[in-house]
Amino acid sequence: MRRLTAIFIAAALIGLLSLAYWSVGRQKAPEKREALGVNRILAGAPAAGFARAVAPRRFVFPRDHGPHAGFRSEWWYFTGNLTDGQGRRFGYQLTLFRVALAPQAPVRGSRWGSNEIFMAHFAVTDVAGKRFRYAERFSRAALGLAGAGGTPLAVRLEDWSALESAERPWSMKLSAADPEAGMAIELDLRSLTREILNGEGGLSRKGGRPGNASYYYSMPRMATSGTIRVGQESYRVSGLSWLDREWSTSALEEEQAGWDWFALQLDDGRDLMFYRLRRRDGSADPHSAGTLVTADGASRQLRPDQVQLEAIGWWTSPASGVRYPSVWRMRIPAHGIDLELTPRLADQELAASFRYWEGAVAVRGRAGGVGGSGYVEMTGY
Amino acid sequence: MILWRAGLRNALRHPWLTVLAVIGVSLGVAVVNAVDLANEASQRAFRIAAQTVAGRATHQVVGGPAGLAERIYTDIRVGRHFRGSAPVVTGNLLLKNAAGAASLQVIGIDPFAEPPIRSFSSQFADSAVLAALVGRPGTALMLRQTARELGLQRGDSFSVEAGGLSRKLTLVGLLEAPDELSRLGLASLLVTDIATAQEILGWSGRLSRIDLVLPEGSAGERLLAEIRSALPAGAAIIPAGSRAGALDRMTRAFRLNLTALSLLALVVGMFLIYNTMTFSVVRRRRLIGMLRALGVSRRQIFAMILGEALIIGVAGTVIGLVCGTLLGAELTRLVTRTINDLYFVLEVRRVPLLPGALLKAGLLGIAATLAAACPAALEATGAPPRAVLSRSAIEARRRKSVPLLALIGLLTMLAGGALLLFEGGGIVGGFAGLFAVIIGYTLEIPAIVVLAAGALRPVMAALFGVIGKMAARGVVVSLSRTGVATAAMVVALSAGIGVGIMVGGFRLTVQSWLANWLQADVYLRSSDSGGGRYRPPLDPALLQRLTSLPGAESFSLSRRVSIEGAQGGTEIFSLAVPKDAFLRYPFKEGSARDAWESFSRGDSVLLSEPYSYRHHLHRGDRVTLRTDRGERSFPVSGVIFDYGSDSGIVLMSRVAYLRNFQDREVDGISFYAREGVTSGELADQIRKRGGESRISIISNRELRSATMTVFDRTFQITGVLRIVTMVVAFVGILSALMAMQVERARELAVLRAVGLTPRQVWGVVCGETALIGLIAGLLSIPLGIAEALVLVYVVNLRSFGWTMQLSIEPAYLLQALLLSLCAALLAGVYPSLLMARSSTALALKEEG
Repeated sequence: MRRLTAIFIAAALIGLLSLAYWSVGRQKAPEKREALGVNRILAGAPAAGFARAVAPRRFVFPRDHGPHAGFRSEWWYFTGNLTDGQGRRFGYQLTLFRVALAPQAPVRGSRWGSNEIFMAHFAVTDVAGKRFRYAERFSRAALGLAGAGGTPLAVRLEDWSALESAERPWSMKLSAADPEAGMAIELDLRSLTREILNGEGGLSRKGGRPGNASYYYSMPRMATSGTIRVGQESYRVSGLSWLDREWSTSALEEEQAGWDWFALQLDDGRDLMFYRLRRRDGSADPHSAGTLVTADGASRQLRPDQVQLEAIGWWTSPASGVRYPSVWRMRIPAHGIDLELTPRLADQELAASFRYWEGAVAVRGRAGGVGGSGYVEMTGY
Repeated sequence: MILWRAGLRNALRHPWLTVLAVIGVSLGVAVVNAVDLANEASQRAFRIAAQTVAGRATHQVVGGPAGLAERIYTDIRVGRHFRGSAPVVTGNLLLKNAAGAASLQVIGIDPFAEPPIRSFSSQFADSAVLAALVGRPGTALMLRQTARELGLQRGDSFSVEAGGLSRKLTLVGLLEAPDELSRLGLASLLVTDIATAQEILGWSGRLSRIDLVLPEGSAGERLLAEIRSALPAGAAIIPAGSRAGALDRMTRAFRLNLTALSLLALVVGMFLIYNTMTFSVVRRRRLIGMLRALGVSRRQIFAMILGEALIIGVAGTVIGLVCGTLLGAELTRLVTRTINDLYFVLEVRRVPLLPGALLKAGLLGIAATLAAACPAALEATGAPPRAVLSRSAIEARRRKSVPLLALIGLLTMLAGGALLLFEGGGIVGGFAGLFAVIIGYTLEIPAIVVLAAGALRPVMAALFGVIGKMAARGVVVSLSRTGVATAAMVVALSAGIGVGIMVGGFRLTVQSWLANWLQADVYLRSSDSGGGRYRPPLDPALLQRLTSLPGAESFSLSRRVSIEGAQGGTEIFSLAVPKDAFLRYPFKEGSARDAWESFSRGDSVLLSEPYSYRHHLHRGDRVTLRTDRGERSFPVSGVIFDYGSDSGIVLMSRVAYLRNFQDREVDGISFYAREGVTSGELADQIRKRGGESRISIISNRELRSATMTVFDRTFQITGVLRIVTMVVAFVGILSALMAMQVERARELAVLRAVGLTPRQVWGVVCGETALIGLIAGLLSIPLGIAEALVLVYVVNLRSFGWTMQLSIEPAYLLQALLLSLCAALLAGVYPSLLMARSSTALALKEEG
């Protein structure tokens, strides 16, 4: 469940919180934020009037690529591993979050009035340059500053955008630049698979209580080409992207401390998504789950007991002092999968409003098995 | 050690003299400190609020009277990818609840655009606060202390008035100030989401300004040029600091005038100290002579006297600082009110203890005391022991120096006069000249006293016989003290006269100007005065209803706006006025008849006198203004008298205004009644059609008296300072004369011994003091008038650009004369009583 409603609301709300620390309070903000704790915010009961994800629904595309008003939060989560002609490797992340402050748009005299705000995270991993860059933005869904919708679909936050460029195969054009961080992307994504519904027909349960769930589908394999700029240099790149789409209203449960999420594209054409929810006592939550997509497009749900996950290396962030698992071993014996996941760069930590590690990983098949590439996200450490 | 004991004994023997000297110092210090505090507090409050509001912005995009279109912001931020930008909608509103009313500045921001810009130090208890601020209409934040003062808690609702409308807001969170500075800056702020600010201020679709954080160097220049090229004609980019700077400059003249007045009080106080110290030296001439004869060195004597002065100075300064701080709170209120009336909305919530101001006043007090004691100390040590012992030697020396002093005085006055005539001297030059004239004049006083006493001797003799003659001689004989006492009185009294005449003349000028300026019978404007000089526009529907009143012969529409620029705001007053009203406008340059044609067509503008003075623009010149069509230059067809704004205004016909600004709003209408319709009837007709609008309808007479009320309020602070100066003068006269007479105890005892009755001695004493009082009173009149002339023709003109009539009210002169006589007579009473009570023999022995 990774970016279950959880991460998103967490990120957005904590983002809001951090905004509150403009100024003098800024230096003090980080520890205050941590002290507040992700889960305590996520555990809050959702405001009345929002729709909940309680039962499986019928997904209709391309409509469901667009926003789902009525739910508290929603995201378009793009990640990808790209390479230029000389084999120089890059990872990128462009995430656009929509969060509603109220179920309905208010009737207001000012056009600035809105019930929705957008948050976006943009990151580029320059493997050869050994540098990870990231940036964060907020804006309200008003006056064209941010928003999602329309046909063709447009999701934007100021000048960062994801625009639908073709309906079939479904294609998106991503563009984002952050001059201060010295990075930019202009990428064209074309889906190579159909939409993959995660969980129970797209209903992804993240807790025992009804409604603590999200609607969750993925576009696990999107052919990507375009340019990446890091520093002063631009690179023509190509590779694979992964899009996660999720919307929900309710939050993590009290005893859940964080999650580890894996999105892997294997060289044999299979795609694997798995998230492990971690409980406060360190154990895996039974609501952890995953989806395996075969090369022919068939998908299979993964139960937590089918997946053996083990951290075999650790990395301590010099910036935050937090220790994250660094190298993972993942085994799914039933499907003949035995992988070792190594970050392409150790430091892919985003110390944004919400601190987490999200980065490109190399996937190596153990014992001569199949490898690949992917993205890993770790929160709550 | 023995020297200190001698000094202490001296002080204890005449406690009243010491006390009066301390009072003199403390009053002087108190006034300086209080004015300084008031000036500093109001300036600081403004500056810090401006900084807090501006944050780290380096530049601001400002628009015309109607602000900026929202899309300019989205164009800069999204279209031009410039994220160091934040939109601001700001205005003033009045908060009213059970705890009272407060005028607050609303600042509407987009929190999501904020982090690089502003530094509101706010720590919300939880993240819901920002969500509520952005997500819910009518929500606001304020400083915790401000909320407490207003009796509000988080979650409370309160009503505010802005733009003539009343609205309910909810306090969804409290701002915490991490330090005193932020607390000051945030004290009068109401922080809202930009949407809420637009809604409560009626600014939907528009922004007050866009704050920019541009990098330094060529990158910043490039961005600046790029953003500038994208702006529509009416918008401009100004450096962020310039606004605060311009407002600083705006009130500079006002603050400088107050400081000068407070210094005058200190000067009078210095005379007092000088007098006290001289007296204490003169009286102990025997002791000092003996000490010197015994081998005490000059340096030791000098140190003793300065030491005494230091003790008086420190005591007076400490008391003065305490009193000054108390008085400062009251003066701050007066200063703030004046700034609100004349310049911009400012709320000073508390007067902080400013170490700088305290230090300044403290040092000034002690330095002034020491400086004033120096002549006395030099006198005591300068003469050989034998001469010191002889009182007559001092007096003789003093008399000999009279012509020299007079010459120096004359030269000083001439220098002062030259300084006054020098245009480039500015306000500071004006005050320096004024002080030079005053000092020069006081140096003439001993000479005049000698002459006047000589001239009055026959008169006194004729009136009071020998006693009168003796009194007149006594004044001359003890010139060392009478001269100083008289000078102190003259300075204080003349200041009272000068300021009184200036304010009186100003008042008359404004009254007669109002008579020409306010010609309509009934005036209507929005009842909201939260924006100071600027009022929110009237409802267009109301305007529609009012343009066809049966009782109105004609009406004129007006709009007062400020065009922000790098040099501060330019006030533009646009009006559609009937010809015959225009023809009665008070012109300084040009004539209404000649100007009407081009003015009414919108081809030329008029300038107010201060504007013309400040910008060196006259009839026939062209004035350049930033309009919504870009920079435009307009021919000036005349300069009119206007006492409404000391920054000056540009008058423009409504035709020209509409042509150059995209703003069709009207904020005032004035109605001219039809023949036979009284203004009361007309006002009733307007009121009936007014409906629900929150407007104020005011008759010509009421408006005039309201204007005069504001005027009087403005000069209330001047009045307070004038009274304090007079009190210092009174204390000064009292102590100087009393000291003189106490010191004469032996001489008077001799008089008693040779057969004068106590009554006759009383006559000699009081005759002498009365004579000094009379001479001082008379001498203060020419100096007072001269001061008034300088204040009116130099200081006021240079400070505010106003010319005004001078009317010399005999009342002020009489008041000064009476005050000096009363103080003088009162000063004679105590020594006379003392004399009458003590035995002659004892007095002879004691001082012998």
